[in-house]
Amino acid sequence: MRAGLLLIIVAAVTLEATSLIQFFYAQRGLRSEATLRAETELEITNNRILDIINQAETAVHNSEWIAKWCLDYPDSLVRVATRLVRDNQVIMGSTVALVPGYLDRHQLFAPYAYEDTDGRLAITSLATPEYDYPEREWFRKPLELGTGYWSEPYVDTGGAGILMTTYSMPVRDDSGNIAAIMTADISLDWLTGVVGDVKVYPSAFSVLLSRQGELMVSPTDSLVMTHTSQELISGFEDTTMQRINRAMLSGGSGSEPLKFGGKMHQIYFAPIEKTGWSMSIVIPEDEIYKGLKKTIGWVSLFQLLGLAMLAVILFAIYRSVLKYKDLNDRKERMDNELRIGHSIQMSMVPKIFPPFPDRKDLDISAALVPAREVGGDLYDFYIRDEKLFFCIGDVSGKGIPASLVMAVTRSLFRSISGHENSPGAIVSIMNQSMSSDNDNSMFVTFFCGVLDLASGHLRYCNAGHNAPFIFTDSIRTLPVVPNLPLGVDKSMTYQEQETDLLFDNALFLFTDGVSEAENSQKELFGEKRIREVLSTRRDAQAHLEAINKAVEAFVGDAPQSDDITMLFLHYLNFHLSLRNEVSQISRLAPFISKIAKVKHLDSTLASSLNLALEEAVTNSVMYAYPEGTEGTVDVEAILNEDSIQFVISDNGIPFDPTAAPAVDTSLGVEERAIGGLGIHLVRKIMDNVSYRRDGSRNILSMTKKI
Amino acid sequence: MQTIINKQQDETTIQFVGRMDTPAAQEAATMMDKFQEAASGTVILDCSKLEYISSSGLRIFLSIRKAAAAQGGKVIVQDINDNIRNVFMMTGFLNLFEIR
Repeated sequence: MRAGLLLIIVAAVTLEATSLIQFFYAQRGLRSEATLRAETELEITNNRILDIINQAETAVHNSEWIAKWCLDYPDSLVRVATRLVRDNQVIMGSTVALVPGYLDRHQLFAPYAYEDTDGRLAITSLATPEYDYPEREWFRKPLELGTGYWSEPYVDTGGAGILMTTYSMPVRDDSGNIAAIMTADISLDWLTGVVGDVKVYPSAFSVLLSRQGELMVSPTDSLVMTHTSQELISGFEDTTMQRINRAMLSGGSGSEPLKFGGKMHQIYFAPIEKTGWSMSIVIPEDEIYKGLKKTIGWVSLFQLLGLAMLAVILFAIYRSVLKYKDLNDRKERMDNELRIGHSIQMSMVPKIFPPFPDRKDLDISAALVPAREVGGDLYDFYIRDEKLFFCIGDVSGKGIPASLVMAVTRSLFRSISGHENSPGAIVSIMNQSMSSDNDNSMFVTFFCGVLDLASGHLRYCNAGHNAPFIFTDSIRTLPVVPNLPLGVDKSMTYQEQETDLLFDNALFLFTDGVSEAENSQKELFGEKRIREVLSTRRDAQAHLEAINKAVEAFVGDAPQSDDITMLFLHYLNFHLSLRNEVSQISRLAPFISKIAKVKHLDSTLASSLNLALEEAVTNSVMYAYPEGTEGTVDVEAILNEDSIQFVISDNGIPFDPTAAPAVDTSLGVEERAIGGLGIHLVRKIMDNVSYRRDGSRNILSMTKKI
Repeated sequence: MQTIINKQQDETTIQFVGRMDTPAAQEAATMMDKFQEAASGTVILDCSKLEYISSSGLRIFLSIRKAAAAQGGKVIVQDINDNIRNVFMMTGFLNLFEIR
C-alpha cells in the first residue's frame, strides 16, 4: 500500500511538474504570440494611419507648385484651397495663408475653403483680426520649422465637432523664402474606426495619444480630446504607468505589464510616424492566457482523473495482491497443515516393515498411498496375546473429512480390539459407536481379522468391504458375508466367519483404490490383474511393490483417483492344529513337504522327519485324551538355520513318551513287542528329544540338526 | 493306501500301494485276519509301490511275521525303497524279515 501511495505521489509530482513546465512554456509562447499580434496590429494601424496621412500630405505637396505659381496672383489661391478640399475626401478644409508682409507688410491674406455641415463647399477668409492667423500654431510652426507640420488634433468647434488635425506646410517662392503656409484640415473620423478596429483579443482595447497626450482614441468616448494622459494617470501611484506615458509621449515603443482595475494587463505601444502620435494596445493578461488556462484546466482535470483512476487501479491491484498474498499464505498454511496431517495420518498406521522382525511365522506388509495429502483409507495391525489383529478400511469420500473419520475408525479399532477378541464383536461395537453421531452420513467399508498366530485360526468379519484374496494352493477370494459398512445401521449385528490359515497361506487385503485404479481410457485395473501380479511368489513387501508398480504402469499419466491401500499377510507359522483323530495324521505329510521345500531338504530326510513327527503326534492323538473326549494336538515347526525343531503339545493327561523303555532291536521275532517302536524311531531320527509338562500341557520338543 | 491281496495256492502276495501312515495302517489292520491266515504259507509283502511306512505299518508287518513264525509260514519283503529300508534298519526289522 505504501509503495502504491508513493507511486501515486511520484506520478502526481511528475505530472504537475511537467504541466508547470508546459504551462510556463505555453505562457511564454502565448505572451510572445500576444506580443507579435500586438506589434503587428500596431504596425498595421501605423501603416493605415500613415496611408491616409500621406494621402493628405501628398495632396498638399502636389498642390504646392500651383500655390507657388499663384503667389503672384493671391486671388487665385482660393482655387488651390478649393481644389484640395474638393478632390480629397479626407481634407475637410484648406487654406493658403500668406505670410504677412509677403504682398504687403501689413496685409493678411488667407482664403479658406471648407465643407460646411451639409457637405457643400464654402469659402471664407481667415484673415480677420479676431482670428489673427499668424499667431495660430498651424501657421507659426511650419514657418518656424520650415517644413510640414502636423498639428495637435483638435475638435472642430465650428463644424460637426469632429476630430481634426491640420497639416500645414510652407510654400516657398522662387528665391526660397516662405511666402505662404498651405494647410489641409484633415478629418480624423476614421481614426476611431482604424484604431478602434484593432481587436487583438476580445476585451483588448487601443488608445491613441496625441503628441501632447490628448486621448484621440479611447474605449471611453467621453475622455476623447477632453483629457490628456497625464491627467488620467495622475491619480495612480504606480510609476509604471508614468513611465509608459513618458515613453509613449517621447515616441518610444515597447511593452510593459501593468496592473489596473485589479487586473494584470500587458500594454504594447508604438509611435505613429510623422504625426508624433502614440498608439497603445492594452490586453488583459487573463485574456492572453485564457486559452491556456482553459487548456491547463482541462489538462489538470484529466490529470486528476488519471491520478484518481491510477489510485483506484493501484488500490484494486493492491487489494487483489493482498488477497492473492493472503490466499497464498492461506494456501501455504493449508499445504503445511495438510503435510502435517499427512504425517499424522501416516503415523496412525504401522509403517515400519518388517514390523515384527523377530517373528518368523509372519511376513506382513502394508501400504497406504492417499490420492491427496490425506485420505480416508486405513489399515492397522498389531499383536496381542499371540493374536494378530488386523484391519483395512475405506471411508466414503476423500480428503480431510474422510481422514478425520479414518482417524476415528482407527482409534475405535484399537480401543475396542484391545479387550475384545472376536472380530464380529469388534466390528459391531465400532458400528454402534460410528452410527450414533454420524451427522454427515459418512460410512466406512471395513474388514477386520483376528489371526491366532499359534494355530493359524482366522476369525474375520466383513463390513461392506471388498473380499480379500486368500492364497492357499491357488489364489481365491476369501468367502465373506458382505454385511453393511460401518456407520450405516446402528442395530446391525455383524456376522463373523472363520477359516484356518496353514503354513504359507497368505491374505491380500486391499481397497478399491487398487482394483478400481483407472487409466486414461477409464479402464479399471481389476481383480484379475491383481491376481496375475500376486501369482509370482514373493515376500510381502515385494508383493506390494509389484502391485504398486503394476498399478502405476497401468494408470500411466492419469491422476491417482482414489486412495490406494493394501495389506499383505503371509502366514509362515509351521503349525498344525490337529483334532485327536487318527485321520488328522495325514495332514502331517503336506506339512513336512512344505518345510522340506522351504529348507531344501532331500526326500530321505523329509521322509525321516515325517516319520518322527508322525510317531510323536500319533502318541498324543492316541493317548493324550481319554477315549471319547475331544482334544487338539498342536504341532509347531521351528526352522532354524541349522536345525529343525518340532514342538508337539496337547492339553491331555500327563504323558511322557520319552519315559518308555528303549526297544531292543536285536531281539528275535517272538520276543519283539508290537508297541514302542514309535518313540524308538523318534529317538533314532531326531538328535534331541525332550518332554515337559507346562501347566496343563504336555510339550514334546524334538530337534534335528540339518 | 491301497492294499491288494493276491493268493495263489499257499503263496499270498500282499501289495501295498501308497503311504502307510497311521491312519492307513489302522485301515489295513482291519484285514489282519486275512494276513494272518495267509501267513500259514508264504507271504510276499510287495513294497514296490509303498512310499512310506510308520511304526503302525511296521506293527502290521511284525504281526504278519509273528503269525508266520507261529504257523511255520514264511514272509518275504520285496522291493522296499531306501527310505523304508532305512526305517527297517533303525528298527532292526532287516534282521526279522527276508528282504528281496
